[in-house]
Amino acid sequence: MGRYIIRRSLQAIPLLLLLSVFMFLLIHALPGGPEQVIFNPHLDPVGRANLRARFGLDQPLPIQYLKWLGNCLIGNFGFSFATNQAVSTVIAQRFPATLQLFSLSLLLALILAIFLGVISAVRQNSPLDYTLTTLSYFGLAMPAFLLGLFLQDIFSVQLHWLPDSGTTTLGYTFDPFNAFIDHLTHLILPVTALSVLFVAGWSRYMRSSMIETTKQDYMRTARAKGVSPASRLVRHALRNAVIPLITVVAIDFGSIAGGATITETIFAWPGMGSLFFDSLQSRDFPVLLAILILSGFFVVLFNLIADVLYGVMDPRIRYS
Amino acid sequence: MDIPGQLNVTTSEEEVEPILELTPELVQKRRSQARIIFDRFIRNRAALLGAAFLILMFLFCFLGPTVSGHIQPDVIHPADASQAPSLKYPFGTDYIGRDQFARAMAGGQVSLLVGLSSMLMAIVFGIGIGSMAGYFGGLADNILMRLTDVVLAVPLYLLLFVLSASYSDGSVTSVVFLIAIFGWTYTARLVRGEFLALKEREYVLAARTIGAGHFRIMFRHVLPNAAGPIIVSATLLVGANIILESVLSYFGFGLHPPSSSWGNMISDGQPLFDVSPWLVFAPGMLIFSTVLSFNLVGDGLRDALDPYMTER
Repeated sequence: MGRYIIRRSLQAIPLLLLLSVFMFLLIHALPGGPEQVIFNPHLDPVGRANLRARFGLDQPLPIQYLKWLGNCLIGNFGFSFATNQAVSTVIAQRFPATLQLFSLSLLLALILAIFLGVISAVRQNSPLDYTLTTLSYFGLAMPAFLLGLFLQDIFSVQLHWLPDSGTTTLGYTFDPFNAFIDHLTHLILPVTALSVLFVAGWSRYMRSSMIETTKQDYMRTARAKGVSPASRLVRHALRNAVIPLITVVAIDFGSIAGGATITETIFAWPGMGSLFFDSLQSRDFPVLLAILILSGFFVVLFNLIADVLYGVMDPRIRYS
Repeated sequence: MDIPGQLNVTTSEEEVEPILELTPELVQKRRSQARIIFDRFIRNRAALLGAAFLILMFLFCFLGPTVSGHIQPDVIHPADASQAPSLKYPFGTDYIGRDQFARAMAGGQVSLLVGLSSMLMAIVFGIGIGSMAGYFGGLADNILMRLTDVVLAVPLYLLLFVLSASYSDGSVTSVVFLIAIFGWTYTARLVRGEFLALKEREYVLAARTIGAGHFRIMFRHVLPNAAGPIIVSATLLVGANIILESVLSYFGFGLHPPSSSWGNMISDGQPLFDVSPWLVFAPGMLIFSTVLSFNLVGDGLRDALDPYMTER
């Protein structure tokens, strides 16, 4: 197992290098630079050259790439064109919000998906199964922004039950407890919007994995030796059926560094997704590049984690 | 006529039938492969419903304007601005008095065309890359699959937003192209897998023995046998691409006027959602039901094409 982890990690390195070259070239091929962001109509050619020199844009591209890569490895992503803050500072401000949104949504989605998937599988081809299947088809066909808009309209504009966007209610000062409650109410809509999308896909996955598992020989053995239905379901079937789902969840969690762009933008959630969107509109390339490379890194990392988890949880899988 | 030494037995159809009835498999009509798949598909009610809905949707978008007379999606009727759905304007009007029904049909043409053509393009890329990787293996496989890994590792929306913001001129062609250049990865992996498995088959060896070239083996012998999964993924890709286009348009990175799609209609209508909800509902429901239908048809095809699903 240890050897497998090391081998897979080493394989990920060239992929990440390739990814970094790809992203770097992509961002540098885009028109514009700091002088477009720090918009100053009186900027003369000398000032322009100074500005480019300050951000290191006057050097040849391969040199720029190597410098950037070296700095990335020690966690220095350069300085934002727009605010002149260190990119790492900007990202550190935004990442917690995304982490919060993602962890809560994924946890909720995981619990719901397992629950609904198991119900569907146990009552296969019942009206309940058909209803859940229909609902998941609806969820998969629903564009994320549309779902967000509808939730916002129903629960905050029409019913006034929940705040429509942001993380806190402005203009009030709360004691810690009420501030926490206030924050929670702001979380409900974005978490719902995000988890519905995951539940729709995952519950289908859980259902078929569960059906597959209940057909296994050891399930018949368990039944023959008189294990109770509940124990059979949870201890024999569920434990094995959930393994493939966990790997899917791990892979989906890898998209965290990119943030949930759509949901975050609609609910004005100050996470990585909306940071990316803002930086794109202000052409803040160092921030864009950092988000792209970080999200690529997280995707590769969580794919690796998913593979390793699969091997750990399912001893039948032995990697050579 | 009487042949000497032979009993005069009339062997008419009516008398033969009962004997064959005992062995029903002989009576059953022989069906072609396509017929079997078709029969399986139409027995899946959800998929049939999806297919019927898609046909209706295409008729609605492409013939609807001529039939209903709502042919002027861009004409402004200031006197009829911000009207709720009525007989005259089945989907209402927006704040400058554009006929939303006409816009929905015109936008649908764009959305469907973008979905279909970006799917076709992505499938062609995917088949090209996947078949070369799977068939030739070795170095070609390694290079092409690492390329696929890189594209898969980048969050799709982020990449699309960056590229659209910088390179897209908002025309249908550029949006289709952008969606397609990142949409081929799944198909490529699928095709590669099929090719890896199929190239070991006897018929490939037979084709090689009679001197067929690589190109001929790949596209005349192996590819048709991999058609099933490709068709399924193509169908599902149309739905995914329609959503992708609507997301791009919603965030302002998609199509620019005068071409407008369902996604544009939603982003236009969104600021007025609380006063004129029909501006978002109509295009939203059209996207939703079209994507749903493509998914149902795709899953129906998957079941119908599954060789392990035995007949009854």
